[in-house]
Amino acid sequence: MLALNLLKYELFSRWGVILGWGLGLGLFGIMYVAIYPQFEDKMAVLSEIPFYKAIGIDLGSFEGFIASSLVLNVPVILAIYVIVSSSDTLAGEEDKGTLELIVTMPLKRWQIVTTKAIALTIVTFMVLMITGATSALTLIWVRQSVEVNVSTSELFVAVMSCMPITLVFLMMGLFFSAWLPNRKTAATAATVVFLVSYFAEILAGIVPALAVIKPFILFHYFDSGATVFFIGVQAKDVWTLLVIAAIFFALALISFQRRDITVGQWPWQRAKAGDTLT
Amino acid sequence: MTDHVIETKELTVYYGHQRGIVDVDLFVRRGEIFGFLGPNGAGKTTAQRVLMDVIRPTSGRAAVFGLDCQRQGTALRKRVGYLPGELSLYPHMKADSFLRMLASLRNANVNTSFRNQLIERLDLDPSRKIHAYSRGNKQKIGIIAAFMSKPELLMLDEPTSGLDPLMQQVVLELVREAKEEGRTVFFSSHNLPEVQAVCDRVGIIRNGELVRTDRVENLTHQQFKRLQIRFRTLPATDAFTIDGVKELTRDESSVTLEIRSGFAEVMERAAGYGVEDLETLPVTLEEIFLAFYDEPDEDDDRVSA
Repeated sequence: MLALNLLKYELFSRWGVILGWGLGLGLFGIMYVAIYPQFEDKMAVLSEIPFYKAIGIDLGSFEGFIASSLVLNVPVILAIYVIVSSSDTLAGEEDKGTLELIVTMPLKRWQIVTTKAIALTIVTFMVLMITGATSALTLIWVRQSVEVNVSTSELFVAVMSCMPITLVFLMMGLFFSAWLPNRKTAATAATVVFLVSYFAEILAGIVPALAVIKPFILFHYFDSGATVFFIGVQAKDVWTLLVIAAIFFALALISFQRRDITVGQWPWQRAKAGDTLT
Repeated sequence: MTDHVIETKELTVYYGHQRGIVDVDLFVRRGEIFGFLGPNGAGKTTAQRVLMDVIRPTSGRAAVFGLDCQRQGTALRKRVGYLPGELSLYPHMKADSFLRMLASLRNANVNTSFRNQLIERLDLDPSRKIHAYSRGNKQKIGIIAAFMSKPELLMLDEPTSGLDPLMQQVVLELVREAKEEGRTVFFSSHNLPEVQAVCDRVGIIRNGELVRTDRVENLTHQQFKRLQIRFRTLPATDAFTIDGVKELTRDESSVTLEIRSGFAEVMERAAGYGVEDLETLPVTLEEIFLAFYDEPDEDDDRVSA
């Protein structure tokens, strides 16, 4: 059973985030969709750049341009929010002292983690919905001046396809927040994993010898090419990311179950009885 | 069936290699107000946090209402109102909404009129956002949150901290009323006069170890005596140089002594100078407490918690 009132508070306290990030990313989407007609002729030249080709960016078509700019950048930008807020959720609240009162309520610890995870997931989903909707609405206007092979619903779905990989970073942040001693460490660890994953995907696209590591890179399971419009979102990739997110969530549950609140220690730092005092 | 609401057995918490509490054996009876005394860092908060399953013991056992604090924490926390020592509230919520949220998280049928009574008695305006309150007002919110569901056990860590003297008295009245209703109060403090004013029994914790538990009146009578003796002939300055006896003051006819042991010898020596009057001076809990802390301890590494 969820702590519904806690969920209500968590959502209520984040309505500004939904609005701010939703509108911010929405404007980002509007900008990329609306800007294309102005640069359509020049984009063909950019598409010949070998570096872009190597990392799978195709700027020669509207579909490729939107995928390589909007669809690729949305989860990157949104990762900043989910890492900051998920690491703030447990370790951050512990640092601030508000977690002590919540854990002394008659709630099981898994209820607290699950409620907070659901709240963050809903917020992230809402932000993406706003981004997808505003981008799709802009497309209706753009289609009057440029010939495109993307429908508004395809664009909306492509933006929403950012959800699984964003969810992975969210749950990863939550896990680090439950496992590591403070918010700063948790946010740093999640950011490092994110950056390594992002740049490893680029490098693996440039250096053929690194192709072997692709299955271990999170962004490998996220399609930010024009294929996302033509072939659609790959269910296998979505499930892979959702399973990884679920694993991080399970690790967060286990870590929080064992966590000593207010102590701020690494799990292995706790001494056993009989240890020599220093 | 035991009437112990709280019971700990060899309860020990280490923070890494630093000691929190060591081998604490403690019980609190149903319906009593138990004062948990100690200076900052002695281990009072650590013990309460273990009882509320905020932190886990390194060894030993802790039970509240006979329920294991860790395995049955959810069930026991339904019956406990807790006021943390370091109270932090959600700053962007209004006090009223915050209290309603806590009530709903407890699944408790909070009597609104009782909650309003608490708000009135503590002179709080609950319509403001928490970040706008002073420290004292935030403390009042914490106190209302702990008391409002009329829990069977109140676990209060420094409840009067940050309050003005009038409000401190209100809180002590609330504690007394809880006792009158048959509820139990575990009251941690380093404010000794207030502990003496409301508590039935006290436990004194020193460097993580529970050094004494007793009724307040036993402690104030048994730990040491303070005698003022008026003599016909004033004794020499070394007349009471006896182990366990300290001369505190003297004037032209009387001597004040603090006697921990050797009472018979004091009486014997005093008789030689012609005792005209003898008065036992009251000893406060504060003095008893300080006496415990005057005693040297080889292992004096305290931790904050």
